[in-house]
Formats: sequence, structure tokens, C-alpha cells
Amino acid sequence: MKYIDFPVLGQRPATEFTVAGVLEPEPAKLVGITAGAWVFNRNSVPVQRQEWWYHAASQLWFIVERDTESDDILGVAVAGEKTDVS
Amino acid sequence: MSIRLLKYAFIEDHAEPRFFNTPADLKDQYEVIIIGAGGHGLATAYYLARDHGITDIAVLDQSYIGGGNTGRNTTIVRSNYLTAEGVKFYDASVDLFKSLSDELDLNIFYSERGHFTLAHSEATLRTARRRAEVNKHYGVESEVVGPEEVLKACPQIQLDCGGNHEIIGALYHAPGAVARHDAVAWGYARRASQDGVEIHQNTRVTDIDMHGDRVVGVSTTRGKIRANKVISAVAGFTPTVLAMVGLTSPIEIFPLQACVTEPIKPWLDTIIVSGSLHLYVSQSSRGEMVMGASLDPMELHSRRSTFEFVSNLSDQMLDMFPFLSQIKVNRQWAGMADMTPDFAPVMGTAPVEGFYIDAGWGTWGFKATPISGKTMASTVANERDHELITGFNLSRFGDYQLVGEKGAAAIGH
Repeated sequence: MKYIDFPVLGQRPATEFTVAGVLEPEPAKLVGITAGAWVFNRNSVPVQRQEWWYHAASQLWFIVERDTESDDILGVAVAGEKTDVS
Repeated sequence: MSIRLLKYAFIEDHAEPRFFNTPADLKDQYEVIIIGAGGHGLATAYYLARDHGITDIAVLDQSYIGGGNTGRNTTIVRSNYLTAEGVKFYDASVDLFKSLSDELDLNIFYSERGHFTLAHSEATLRTARRRAEVNKHYGVESEVVGPEEVLKACPQIQLDCGGNHEIIGALYHAPGAVARHDAVAWGYARRASQDGVEIHQNTRVTDIDMHGDRVVGVSTTRGKIRANKVISAVAGFTPTVLAMVGLTSPIEIFPLQACVTEPIKPWLDTIIVSGSLHLYVSQSSRGEMVMGASLDPMELHSRRSTFEFVSNLSDQMLDMFPFLSQIKVNRQWAGMADMTPDFAPVMGTAPVEGFYIDAGWGTWGFKATPISGKTMASTVANERDHELITGFNLSRFGDYQLVGEKGAAAIGH
């Protein structure tokens, strides 16, 4: 079992969380084909990226930085407090 | 003892002929390059040679043939899908599978077992009824049955599933089958090779070379090769290859894990699937229980296995078959599944000239191996999508024309 150190919660098993996708800003104009691309298209290549993670028991959202090839967790922050994780 | 075996014992040269011989060097140019020597890539090469007379083909693989998802699936073949596009396509695949041993002159151990998709709730039963009607409309054997018929086919099953998930019915699909997955890849490789196709293992494509909007070749770890047409058949590496030609897609990579137990006496004739319990199981010809579950919960470009997977799967398995509690899990593994939002594949022509996609095979690719090869070969030879795959083109996402196949997926997602 993989355990991760979370602010507020302490050490928790990774399976307690729902990963809700990559953190990326929504484009200003979403119409027509651009909207379709925004809705559907992904850039699913191995990368280090920030993701939304939700913890149902505490109802807290976190920003987690993760390497999608090695599965290493590089940083964790409570969403809204700061997005600059380190 | 067979005479053949007896003769074999007395001859000095024990070596069987190799399945395929590959020239040591790559040529500078091929008419068609296929990236990925899995079942789909090799089948495409074979049908290009057989049906369209195109033999100047190189199939390149970063590793060995059939080492990706072709050798990592749980070998189930069925056609009880939910959409018209899906049912027609997979039914054509089942037809090809039935005669594939003869076609490839290699026993692929195709074994019709019957396939039960269990329903533990009224909602699942409703989907099953709809699937049965769609299937029957297109001539596919498929019917909703009650728990007593499940019990008749599999007397060992606990219908109350530990008390929490009682089995109230099932979708029964008589043609559901299993096959030896490696043999499918090897068989296609051998026949393609006999027709002049070159298969180069340990040759990774690092980039796709473009001239304006068209593909002109590939760069590999063994140098550059020119080609008029390039086909991507790389399963869990699709987004990386698409990025080489500047395309984006909705495909996301999630690991799918599976495992087998130690071999035991044959007891399970059928294939049992439960989307609600995240479980599918069949017994291999060697007696192992072949088991799989749902996708891992987050995107990952890795084939690592986890203990959580075996532990969760065993938990559900024992609710259904408590007598397996003393059986040991022998091996577990993972594959990288390229998932699409509508659970249908992405196939055919692309907005880049000379580039063709065979992808989005998520957790449902093995059963489509022969028909994918055949339709992709036709698509590449005629430079337009084969009629069976027009609904699967990458453009459907921009046009909002999805092929909703999620209700027919074997596993909960």
C-alpha cells in the first residue's frame, strides 16, 4: 500500500483519494471546435504534472504534483491555500 | 505416442523452423511502416499482403513481438456489444477468429465457452436486456437468463455473492470464447513474414518525419527509414506517437492489471464477468484461473503491479467462489490501456496525410485483432476508412459523434 503525507490529514493511503484530472487553466474563449477539443482532448504522455485530488472523508481538495511514469509524489498542497506546491 | 513424436526423437536436427526470419539490416525505404508488432500491427501487415498485394512492409517494435497488450490481456473473444457499430465490428472479428487456426496454420486454442455477464441489480439487468435486443437484431446469439441458468452452467457459483450482491440474472452470449493470445501474434507474424513482410524487433521509433502535412518516414534507434504510409498500432503509447505528428486525441493511459492462479483441475467451463464486482474470470487450458478487474484509478505510464489489485480482486472472487480460498496466485502483471471517453476504438485515416491510427483499444483490443488487421489493411490500401470502421474515426470527437460503448465494457470503470 502506498502512503502519502498530506497537510492537515497526515499520512494517508493513496487509495482514499479520487484523482480528478490534471490542473490546467480553462481557456478564455470556448466555442465550436475549440470547446470540443477542450472537452475531449488530453495530452497523455509521461510527464510531471499537478493534479486535483479529492479526499471524500474530510471533503478536502488537494493539489498533488505527480510523475505519471514513476508514480512518484513530488508535492502536496491543500487546494486554494497555495497552488505552488513544493 | 504419436508416430510424429517418435520420429522426432530419432532425428538429429531437433530445431523446428523459426517462425520468421528478419534481415539483419533495415532497408532505407518501405512502402508501409507499421509501428508496433502486437497482434493488431502484425494482422494489418498480413492482410495488406494477403488482400491487397502490398508486401514492402516493415513492422517495427521497441521490444519483442506480442510483448505489449497482446500478451497481457485475459484472451476473451465476444461480440455482445451495445452499439450497432460495435456489434457489427466485433461479430466480424468473432467470425475471423473461428477460422483463424486454419488460416494461420497454427493452433490458437480457440475455445468457445459461453460468456455470462452477471447482473446484481435491476439497472444492470436493464442494460443486459438492451444489449440482448441489439445483439439479436444483428444476428448475434445473446440472451438474458435467470440465476438458475447461471447455476446450471457453473454449479460452484454462490448466487448470493456473500450476501451483498445477489446474482439476479445475466446476459448470456454462447459464442464467447478464449484463445491463446501469443499464438495469434506468432501466427500472423509467421504468415506475414512468409509473404515478404519484415519484422524488426528492438527497433524503437523515436520520431515521425514529416514534409509539410504528410508523413515521409520515421526515425528509429537504428536510423532513419523513408515510407509513404505509417500506421500507429502501439496501444498504451498512442499519445506519444500522435504527438510526433502533431495530433492530439482524447486517449488517456491507465494501467489494467490481471493475474493467474496455480493450475487446478478443470472446473470452470464458462467465462464469468461481473461489472459490479469488477471481476472477470475464465480457466485456461493449463488449468490456471485467469482473472482481471477494473482499471487502476489514475493515469500512469508504467506496467507496475500492485498488491491492492490482488487483494481487492481476491476479496470479490471469494464472495463468488469461496472454495478458491486455498488457491495461490502465481503471477500478476499489468498492461497500459489507452482509454477513450466512449469506450470505442480510434481507427482509420487521420488529418495527417499518409498517417493511419489503430488505437483506443483500452481494455477491449484482443478480441478485435483479426478484424482490426483486415479493416486497417483495407483503409491503408484504399486511403479511405473501411465501411466497418467509419464510426471509429478520430474526427468523431470534434463532431460530437461518440459511439457510447461503456455499457458493454466487461469491467466497471
